[in-house]
Amino acid sequence: MLCLLDSDEVARLASVGLVLSHIGMDGGSTEYLTLGIFLVAACLFALMPLGLARLWAWRFAPTKPGPVKNSIYECGLESQGDAWRPFKSAYYLYAIVFLVFDVEIVFLLPFAVAFGGLPLGAVLAMMLFVLLVVEGLLWAWAKGVLRWS
Amino acid sequence: MDVGLRSELQRHGIFVTTLEELYNWGRSNSLWPLGFGLACCAIEMIAASMARYDLARFGAEVFRPSPRQADLMIVAGTVTKKMAPQVVRLYNQMAEPKYVIAMGACAISGGPFKQGYNVLKGIDRYIPVDVHIPGCPPRPEALIHALMTLQQRIAAESLVGPNRPRHLRRDQPGEFPVPEYGSHDLIPPKNESIWRPPVIVRSG
Amino acid sequence: MESTETIRLRILEAVPGALLEVVPNGAPVGQPSLLVDPEHALAVARFLRDAPGLQFDYCSNVTGVDWLDREEEEIVRDRVAETGGEKKIEEPRKRVRPGYLEVVYHLYSMALRHGPLVLRLRTGNRTDRVRLPSLTPIWRSCEFQEREVYDLFGVVFEGHPDLRRILMWEGFQDYPMRKDYVEPDDYEYEPTPHDDVWEKARRHYPAPTVGSGGETSGNPGS
Repeated sequence: MLCLLDSDEVARLASVGLVLSHIGMDGGSTEYLTLGIFLVAACLFALMPLGLARLWAWRFAPTKPGPVKNSIYECGLESQGDAWRPFKSAYYLYAIVFLVFDVEIVFLLPFAVAFGGLPLGAVLAMMLFVLLVVEGLLWAWAKGVLRWS
Repeated sequence: MDVGLRSELQRHGIFVTTLEELYNWGRSNSLWPLGFGLACCAIEMIAASMARYDLARFGAEVFRPSPRQADLMIVAGTVTKKMAPQVVRLYNQMAEPKYVIAMGACAISGGPFKQGYNVLKGIDRYIPVDVHIPGCPPRPEALIHALMTLQQRIAAESLVGPNRPRHLRRDQPGEFPVPEYGSHDLIPPKNESIWRPPVIVRSG
Repeated sequence: MESTETIRLRILEAVPGALLEVVPNGAPVGQPSLLVDPEHALAVARFLRDAPGLQFDYCSNVTGVDWLDREEEEIVRDRVAETGGEKKIEEPRKRVRPGYLEVVYHLYSMALRHGPLVLRLRTGNRTDRVRLPSLTPIWRSCEFQEREVYDLFGVVFEGHPDLRRILMWEGFQDYPMRKDYVEPDDYEYEPTPHDDVWEKARRHYPAPTVGSGGETSGNPGS
C-alpha cells in the first residue's frame, strides 16, 4: 500500500521538475521537458487518490481487519491449503503448443517485415529461433497432440 | 449553511455543498452489489439489472464477482442452513462500508420454508440487514424501491457525531461470527447480539 | 408393457428364489408396484434392465418412505369346541406391525417407450437393520437420489460408490424426513399458526396469567 506523499517527497518531485525544466532550457531538447511533466503528472494521478483514501481512513473511517475478512476469498467457502502448489506437468504441453503457435508470431512478423534489410548475423539468429520452435512443434506432433480425435 | 442562502447562491450558478453530502452522494449513487443469487428471487434481481428495469439508472448495475469490490449484498432467495455460513463469510469479506438488502420472504424470515428442517429463518439472524423487501418473489420495482430506500438512508448518514453509522465507529464490529455446522443445527442458531426474537404477549 | 403380474412371473423364472410380491394400489391411478427382497434386488434389477421386451434402461426416480410401527387390529375367526357342538367366535386381536423404511424406484424404458414400473425395497426395521443393496451399478441415475435417501431417511446402500450426505452437511446426525424427526426448537412468531405449529406457538408464548386474559384461544399476538 502506498502512503500519502509527505512534504519532503513533494519537494523532491518539484525539484525534479525544475531540473528537467533547466535541461529543457539549457540543452534545447524541449521534448524531454514534456516527458518529465508527464511523468510527474502520472505519478501524482496514481498516488493522490491513494493518499486521499488513506487520509480519509485516518480521519473518518477506522479500518477493521479481521481473520475472516483477511482470509483468501474462495466464494465464501473456507480456503483449503495453499495457492502456491505445483501444477501438473501435463500443462507443460499446453505451454509448448502455446509458444509454438502463439508467441512465435510476435517474433516472426517483425522478422518478415524487416527481412530485406537484415544483416546475416540477425538472419542466422532468427533461423536458430525458428529451429527451436520447430523442434517443439515436432515434439508435440510426435506426442500426437495435433491429432483431432 | 443556511438553506436560503444556499438556494440563492445556486440560482446564481454557485453550488455549495459539504464534504459529508458530497461523500454520501457519491457513495449512494455507486452501490455495487455482490453478484450472487440463492434462489428464485435472484431471477427478479437479474431482471431488475436488465434493460427493462435498468438498475444502472441508480449506479448499481456493476455486479461484482468478488466481495472485495462490492458495497451491497443482495441476499436474493432462500438461505439454507448449509449455505448460511458461506453468506456470512462473504459478508465478512466485503470491504466497509457495506450494506445488506434481504430480498424476498425467504431471506427475511424463511418464507414458505420457515417450518422446514434446513432453512434459516431469516438472514438477519447473523448479519445486520438494512432493507427488507417482502414478496415471493418481489417484483423488480420492489428491488428498485429498496435500493432507493437504501440510497436515502446513505444520504442521511453523518460523518461525525454520535449518530455515525456502523462502519465509521471504531467500537462496532466489521465482521460477524460465522456459524458452524453442528450435529443438529447451526451453532449458534442465531447471533444474539444483533438479533432477538420479537417479544409477543398473548392477549388471550 | 406387460402387466406387473406377468413381469413378476418372468422374473421368478429368471431369478430363482426371489421373493416378489405385487403390491396393489388403491388410488385412482391403480399403479401396482413390485416388492422385491433385498437379497435378490440386484439380480432382479439387472434382469429388468436387460431382458428383451422389458429393457427398463432408465431409473427416473428414487424416493424413500418411512413407515412407523403400526398397530393393526385383525379379527380372528375361530371355532371353539363347546358342549353340544362347535361355536364360531370372532375376537379382535391387536398386532403390532414393526415399522420399516422403504425405497421406491420408478423405472422406464427409453428404448421401448414404456413404464413406469415401480420397485419397492424394504429394510428390516427402522433402527439397526437399515441396509439395502444399491442399484447404482445398474442405473447410474440412482447415485445422487440414493444419496438423498441416505441423507434424509438413513437407509444405508451397500455397493454405492460414494455414499455421503448430499443435502445436509457432514456431521449432521438426524434424518430429517423420518416421521419421528425432532427439529431444533427455534420457533419464531407466525401470524397464522395452525396444527403442530400452533402447539409450538402455545409453548413459546404462554398464556397470560389468570386475571389478565381470558380463554387460551386465538392467535398469539392477536
